[in-house]
Amino acid sequence: MAKVSVLNVAVLENPSPFHSPFRFEISFECNEALADDLEWKIIYVGSAESEEFDQILDSVLVGPVPAGRHMFVFQADAPNPSLIPESDAIGVTVVLITCTYHGQEFIRVGYYVNNEYSDPELRENPPLQPDFSQLQRNILASNPRVTRFHINWDNMDRLEDTENQDPALGCGLPLSCTPIKGLGLPGYIPSLLPENSMDCI
Amino acid sequence: MKLLKPTWVNHNGKPIFSVDIHPDGTKFATGGQGQDSGKVVIWNMSPVLQEDDEKDENIPKMLCQMDNHLACVNCVRWSNSGMYLASGGDDKLIMVWKRATYIGPSTVFGSSGKLANVEQWRCVSILRSHSGDVMDVAWSPHDAWLASCSVDNTVVIWNAVKFPEILATLRGHSGLVKGLTWDPVGKYIASQADDRSLKVWRTLDWQLETSITKPFDECGGTTHVLRLSWSPDGHYLVSAHAMNNSGPTAQIIEREGWKTNMDFVGHRKAVTVVKFNPKIFKKKQKNGSSAKPSCPYCCCAVGSKDRSLSVWLTCLKRPLVVIHELFDKSIMDISWTLNGLGILVCSMDGSVAFLDFSQEELGDPLSEEEKSRIHQSTYGKSLAIMTEAQLSTAVIENPEMLKYQRRQQQQQLDQKNAAAREMGPAASVAGVVNGESLEDIRKNLLKKQVETRTADGRRRITPLCIAQLDTGDFSTAFFNSIPLSGSLAGTMLSSHSSPQLLPLDASTPNSFGTSKPSEPVAAAGTRPAGDSVNKDSVNATSTPAALSPSVLTTPSKIEPMKAFDSRFTERSKATPGAPALTSVTPAAVERLKEQNLVVKELRPRDLLESSSDSDEKVPVAKPSSLSKRKLDLEVETVEKKKKGRPRKDSRLMPMSLSVQSPAALTTEKDTVCLSVPAPALKLPMPGPQRAFTLQVSSDPSMYIEVENEVTAVGGVKLSRLKCNREGKEWETVLTSRILTAAGSCDVVCVACEKRMLSVFSTCGRRLLPPILLPSPISTLHCTGSYVMALTAAATLSVWDVHRQVVVVKEESLHSILAGSDMTVSQILLTQHGIPVMNLSDGKAYCFNPSLSTWNLVSDKQDSLAQCADFRSSLPPQDAMLCSGPLAIVQGRASTSGRQAARLFSVPHVVQQETTLAYLESQVAAALTLQSSHEYRHWLLLYARYLVNEGFEYRLREICKDLLGPVHYSTGSQWESTVVTSPAHCLGSQHQ
Repeated sequence: MAKVSVLNVAVLENPSPFHSPFRFEISFECNEALADDLEWKIIYVGSAESEEFDQILDSVLVGPVPAGRHMFVFQADAPNPSLIPESDAIGVTVVLITCTYHGQEFIRVGYYVNNEYSDPELRENPPLQPDFSQLQRNILASNPRVTRFHINWDNMDRLEDTENQDPALGCGLPLSCTPIKGLGLPGYIPSLLPENSMDCI
Repeated sequence: MKLLKPTWVNHNGKPIFSVDIHPDGTKFATGGQGQDSGKVVIWNMSPVLQEDDEKDENIPKMLCQMDNHLACVNCVRWSNSGMYLASGGDDKLIMVWKRATYIGPSTVFGSSGKLANVEQWRCVSILRSHSGDVMDVAWSPHDAWLASCSVDNTVVIWNAVKFPEILATLRGHSGLVKGLTWDPVGKYIASQADDRSLKVWRTLDWQLETSITKPFDECGGTTHVLRLSWSPDGHYLVSAHAMNNSGPTAQIIEREGWKTNMDFVGHRKAVTVVKFNPKIFKKKQKNGSSAKPSCPYCCCAVGSKDRSLSVWLTCLKRPLVVIHELFDKSIMDISWTLNGLGILVCSMDGSVAFLDFSQEELGDPLSEEEKSRIHQSTYGKSLAIMTEAQLSTAVIENPEMLKYQRRQQQQQLDQKNAAAREMGPAASVAGVVNGESLEDIRKNLLKKQVETRTADGRRRITPLCIAQLDTGDFSTAFFNSIPLSGSLAGTMLSSHSSPQLLPLDASTPNSFGTSKPSEPVAAAGTRPAGDSVNKDSVNATSTPAALSPSVLTTPSKIEPMKAFDSRFTERSKATPGAPALTSVTPAAVERLKEQNLVVKELRPRDLLESSSDSDEKVPVAKPSSLSKRKLDLEVETVEKKKKGRPRKDSRLMPMSLSVQSPAALTTEKDTVCLSVPAPALKLPMPGPQRAFTLQVSSDPSMYIEVENEVTAVGGVKLSRLKCNREGKEWETVLTSRILTAAGSCDVVCVACEKRMLSVFSTCGRRLLPPILLPSPISTLHCTGSYVMALTAAATLSVWDVHRQVVVVKEESLHSILAGSDMTVSQILLTQHGIPVMNLSDGKAYCFNPSLSTWNLVSDKQDSLAQCADFRSSLPPQDAMLCSGPLAIVQGRASTSGRQAARLFSVPHVVQQETTLAYLESQVAAALTLQSSHEYRHWLLLYARYLVNEGFEYRLREICKDLLGPVHYSTGSQWESTVVTSPAHCLGSQHQ
């Protein structure tokens, strides 16, 4: 079963200007001390059309992780506007927080992000060239989409001799995790969908 | 019998392979297939039991679900203590769950709100050893071991005290092992496998005792499970799928010689599960009928692939009831409620059925003591059949017991060390969290969190630990940490002064009258929460089931199984009117109709049909087969050595009922008591002083002065006692030094050196010749004409000086003080001469002279009081300010219930139950304390609460009790008013 379960992700300073950094306060629980660090990533989906425009905003190691409940703030700089297709600069996109252990992703939290001009006038008549400094980013914090994956939490070498027939020792929790597919980002998401993603209850 | 299929108990249509009812009967677990994983669900029992609760939206049905198993869950089993749940599944794993200490429901991050788990169960151990699907798990008596069996042909015995330690792997089966059962006496474990054998293993050396194959020779095909069961008296082992002349049966195997000449027949397909009722029953004594005591008997439920369920009593030759068409697919598991009157049955079709029997149908269950007496008379004293309390006082009869005790001590030591180790980090974390609120932490988290760079330049954040992993029991630690204000008790005391509170650490006798009583109350209320939780667990684990040496009243011989040994001759006759006891109540019918259920009332004809279904082909051949079998059996038994009484070789188990360290202390002390006489308790003694003065708290105008060693004429040293009351003074002399004194409006008494106790009237007249105490005085106390002396050897005496009778005669405090480092923190003597001891652990006991028992009247850590919410029943004027000994002892602020209501979102039914339990204990405590005022207060509250919540049944009982000539013991002047007022208020509400 999963050694780490995410209890909550609080989106800090939301909404905020487009250029301000992302801040997530993540609390998680670990039921057994981890030998190695967890790796957390924030991925900004530049365009729903292609993975190509994904930006890994930051990646951070978290550790050591003893058994217990922990929290930390994950801060990452805003996405580089030059890497975002102009047509996708305004409107709804997605930001993902993922966590991996030993290179295996076991949780993925997705949030809708809406970018729009705070000024109503600009909203009515948007400039041809998106003006990122005028954009406001609003993360739909109340509606995270969580996908959990079974991974192998145990030591790799131990696995070899004792549990090679049982590679998937992870687990999921009872939760509703409609794949982000449901968000209306058809081009992007299917590739994200792991085979063993949990279904909704 | 009532039958219900709660449709809401389901795994979304997926099969349910296992069901088990929690020992406390409040919940049950199901295990089976989930969406793409195994699934364990914990359900609330009350909506099954009560229709009202089922309809009540506020009462949760599902308490928790765990999808952690990667593949189908085949078995879920609660430990006997109810603390743990073990689940085994196709993922080859056994998971052991424990409830975590959260308060209220919490949602899973990212899920929608209504899927909240009401209770939090956390996997505390994952047991990996099997190389194939785990089919069945079973906790041994007393939870010392956990056994699991698997399709890898093995049975694994786990040390349940020290997971994941494996004690033994039992190899010998050559097929998939699909069922396990422990001998209730703890001597054997039996397993049944697809290899057409049932094996019995000794727990002494984990070797094979016997392998039974005969009844399974004909077994073909496979059943998913083969859950066998051992009868609660230990005499019979009943197998799942066996065959007798091509008919499926459940084979009865006798413990004595493992004989196999009886079976349960009638099912048309293989028997998948057999489950004995945990209770042993005896015939209901009918009024007026001849009081010839009948033999106790057992009750057994059998479920089959033919989708029907049969329930048998071992004293009847035919099943008590057979229910067909209960499910669409095979029955997979059965679980009895602990009271033995209900069963839950689950099926591969994904549904669950509940059967509710009445005592008229099954008989009177024997109490646990009677059951244990039966065990002892049959098997001698062995560990498994003794409660812990008995163990501690038992005489060591065999080396195992000695071994047990030693091991116990070692374990305690280990645990203490472990606890000491754990203290370190816990304390530091507490420092972080206690220093500032979580809010503060969050505000500054970004600034405060430690961020470093790894060698390759990557950011690394050290997460802030906000809580240790809590797998502790569900406790009220949170509430206990709120200091209960003692001010209320203080005000009560000042307004109502006749009962007195005394601090016991009376190193200075002067402090007697002057110390403020509120202080010790507050101190007791603010004891560290952790401490109190542990103390509670002491209470929980050591059941006070002291075995009385009284003569066994029930016949210890168990009625032999009549089941079907005579069925061959009987069947042709098919005596009508035999057992069928099926009666379906109208309510049940209604509910059944809704669910399109068919319940067939079992008539003899039905039985005939059903039983003949399987074996009508060979009605003649049967008798011959029977005799043949018997012959075989005799041959078999010759080979087996005759079994001696289990006491000789009954093996000791390393059992420890999840002992926490204070509990361990208890047992340690108790085990010490085993061999040596009780260690003498020492209470503090007042030292001799030159002079002291004390004010009588019940009468502030009265004070006593003592002057020791006043040299009188001729060099003789005398002690002078002076008493001043409302300006009137008297004086007397005694020949030895006065150690302590006490007074009331009626008497003055002093305890002198040489264990002398003298009693004087209010005018200074000696009332009695000096009383010689059995040991030096520790505390002296007077109320009215009652004098109470607590000696240093912890014996308590109370005398009524006026009537010259003894109320309490040298009663030892050993029973309430023994077992931990508790001390008496306060003493109170009520106006009726009832002594009340407040102990340092927040519990208060009063001695009930008529029963000669110590009764628990108050417990500061009592979670009931904190959960109880009876605001609605409080009279308009806040009558919580009812004063009396109970109020003083408990010293509880009236707001606790409200806090509970606000902070504790418990389901309504739980709230109701706790409130009822709390009110009832208050009424009983007030009655025991003979505090008429408080009795009236609590009884009224209780009655009002019953009315508000509509508990008609209990109300009736109360009214009956009050009207009938029951309560003679309590004061008479208020009796009539108690009767009239609730009768009045009830009467008006009932119409």
